[in-house]
Amino acid sequence: MTIVREPAISIRNLSKTYPVPFRRLRAFFRRPVKEPVEALRDVTFDVHSGEIFGLIGRNGAGKTTLTKIVATLVQPTTGTVTVRGSDSVLHDEQVRRQIGLATAEERSFYWRLTGEQNLMFFARLHGLSDRIAKQRIRELFAKLELEEVARRRFGEMSTGNKQRLAVARSLLPHPPVLLLDEPTRSLDPLAAERMRELISSLAQQDPPVTILLTSHNLAEVETLCERVAIISRGRIRAIDTPQHLRSLTSKSEQVHVTVSGLNGTNESERISFTRQSGDNQLDDRLRDLQKRGARILDVDTLRGSLLDVLEMYESKGEAE
Amino acid sequence: MQFFLRIISVLAVVTTLFFISKIFSGFTDPRYSQWRDPLATWLTGLAVLNYFMTGFSSLANSIRQEQMQGTLESVLLTPINLPTVIVASSAWDFLETTFFSFLYLFFGRVFFGVQFRGSFFLAVIFLLLTTVVLACLGILSASFAMVFKRGDPFGIFLGAGSALFSGVFFPTQLLKEYAGPKLGNISLLLPATHGLQGIRQVLIEGHTFSQVTQPLFVLLGFLVVLLPFSLWVFSRAVRRAKREGSLIQY
Repeated sequence: MTIVREPAISIRNLSKTYPVPFRRLRAFFRRPVKEPVEALRDVTFDVHSGEIFGLIGRNGAGKTTLTKIVATLVQPTTGTVTVRGSDSVLHDEQVRRQIGLATAEERSFYWRLTGEQNLMFFARLHGLSDRIAKQRIRELFAKLELEEVARRRFGEMSTGNKQRLAVARSLLPHPPVLLLDEPTRSLDPLAAERMRELISSLAQQDPPVTILLTSHNLAEVETLCERVAIISRGRIRAIDTPQHLRSLTSKSEQVHVTVSGLNGTNESERISFTRQSGDNQLDDRLRDLQKRGARILDVDTLRGSLLDVLEMYESKGEAE
Repeated sequence: MQFFLRIISVLAVVTTLFFISKIFSGFTDPRYSQWRDPLATWLTGLAVLNYFMTGFSSLANSIRQEQMQGTLESVLLTPINLPTVIVASSAWDFLETTFFSFLYLFFGRVFFGVQFRGSFFLAVIFLLLTTVVLACLGILSASFAMVFKRGDPFGIFLGAGSALFSGVFFPTQLLKEYAGPKLGNISLLLPATHGLQGIRQVLIEGHTFSQVTQPLFVLLGFLVVLLPFSLWVFSRAVRRAKREGSLIQY
């Protein structure tokens, strides 16, 4: 039985062209006039409730614009975004009540306030009472391992801690929808792994949090996301599960089998072959090797990666 | 430290004005009834000017600061509405100004024996009304800062204009006499003129409510027009910044 999930974020025919401020006025005074920048064109997709949805693409592809439109910080030129039924332009206040946004932007905090004071300030803006806010901040500091720097001024924090603080702030009001823009960009490998565990746990909790994740870390997207959208030059080129997307570049995969004991020798040997995804070749080859007395030490497969898919769509975009 | 230095500077200003007022003692033109005790008139003028300046520059300055810090987006991402942003952004400045404005009157009374009569309550009503009207101009100024990413032209214009045209340091009638009626009538277009006139009528001349209805109604007229207009302009400015994606550009 297929479970049909409600869309938590619904994006329809969304386009965004950044206008050039005072274009006519500049032209009148014969000042150099830039051309309007098209950031998004006709973007349509849904993010289901409780889903971790990845958005990947090159710098300037439109990921941040899309995230900011969902967050009501940028207005679309045409098209609509609804978050749990509320339109992001017409009912922006309702949308803001339901979302948390964490970006890698360092300029979004008060530098002279401590981490704790910053979160307290934003908790009050979210309407949390002092008691609940303090409790929530304690919880989040523990979860994100920020206790040691809680009383340090934001300006004196390391980039990684600033980023974790941004994630803590986005989680303050228990938002049902979370927008994460490169949440692990400045984190050390251990902290990044903990962050991924946290993101994963948020989608599994009850009620689950719907997460729109943009990242340049493709392995992270592959691990975390149920579905991934590839965005290039403002257009969505493909949306699918990471597995299906990978299979788009190549139907075949390279298999490397390391064995020992073949032909009566103890030396290890590496056997490579190419198989079509879904065929019986791997099964047949392994059985044959075992029949010949080989001990299988390792099997390694090389499939098409999300990077290949990204490159494929990028070159298609260039051709257009 | 800065706080205490400001207190001392207020005391220095009051003391200076006290000695300047001694030059004019006994020379006041009888046509200018509010200027019989110039020190009292200047002190009310300065106290109120302080308020007015905060009214039209505080919000624009804080919006500009938030834009430059990059925190405006984070604030506008929370579910608070625009009027709350407006009030909260300048609340601290108003609190601070209330204290320093009160200091002018307090030092005048305690150290230099300036007598204020009339209803303080009525004077506060005038002060609040004038401040809200000027805050509307401040909201327009903040809208300018948000769209043009430039400082506060209204604040500079209205600040200098109020000091010159609204009778903070000299009677507005003198402007008409020396500069002609056209220039003199500019003072009538400034809400600060009417606010200051009302406050002085109450505090210096001891007028009652029924005697100050004229400046009161003029201020109410300004309020009825400017409040909805300025809120509308501000919401348009925010929308424009969102359309341009320039909320944190500076």
